[in-house]
Amino acid sequence: MLIKCPHCGARPVEEYTFLGDARPQRPTSNDPSTMEQWFDYVYLRDNPKGRFDEYVQHSGGCRAWLVVSRNTATHEIHGTVTARDWTKSRQGAKA
Amino acid sequence: MREGFHRISPLADVAIQGRFGADKGAPGVELSVRHPLSIVTVIARKDKAEALSAALAGLKGCVVQWAGADQYYAVSETYAEGALYRELREKLAGLASLSDQSHGRIVIRIAGPKARAVLAKGTPVDLHPNEFLRGKSAVTQMAHVGVHLTRTGEDAFELSVFRGFSENFWEWLTGQAEEFGYQVS
Ligand SMILES: [Zn+2]
Repeated sequence: MLIKCPHCGARPVEEYTFLGDARPQRPTSNDPSTMEQWFDYVYLRDNPKGRFDEYVQHSGGCRAWLVVSRNTATHEIHGTVTARDWTKSRQGAKA
Repeated sequence: MREGFHRISPLADVAIQGRFGADKGAPGVELSVRHPLSIVTVIARKDKAEALSAALAGLKGCVVQWAGADQYYAVSETYAEGALYRELREKLAGLASLSDQSHGRIVIRIAGPKARAVLAKGTPVDLHPNEFLRGKSAVTQMAHVGVHLTRTGEDAFELSVFRGFSENFWEWLTGQAEEFGYQVS
């Protein structure tokens, strides 16, 4: 399985370290009333069949954090962006 | 370098000069250790990536190698102990964070008609001369060791590894070169 790093080009999966779902967003408040949001953020994960965005580090290469969009059923890679650009585009979508 | 102060390469006892491996014809590769070197890691500060690459382009006396997004190694043979770090700290003030890696990394040179064949046994990086251009660097792994790889000439490359891995890496590298015959100089 080859994953294209935006900085390094196509590299084999052995050079990458997977962290997990990139979609949960860290709650910004420490208020006890947000406990349920924190519980979701820390513990609850979807397990979708199909397209899935996950945090991946190019640990055996340039060490950059990326978000890889992968099909969990076929392992097709739809695209890779840097975690920085991913966060920026998500903030842009919210604004 | 200060008088009475002498750096010893961790490969001093291992990288013995001579001809090894297959002994028919010219050696397939030539290996050597660049030592002592000044090596400084340069990492761009927030929003300073462009200003940093412009400043690095104007540097003299050291070679700047790409080492990841907005990260570089500055490498030189001509500076005294710690001098490259001090100079860059002044010249790149506000643009980059620096770390002196002169004692932390070892640079091995590999050159010759079989250099690509040896490296290809360890790295997935596309080493084709039209793809991996002269002066280009890649960060990868060989034999489970993180390697910073730079193409320095037509058939010449540099491999930079953490010094703690250098002896193990040297053994792996020479093992791969054995079938082609290699000269250590
Ligand atoms: Zn990379």
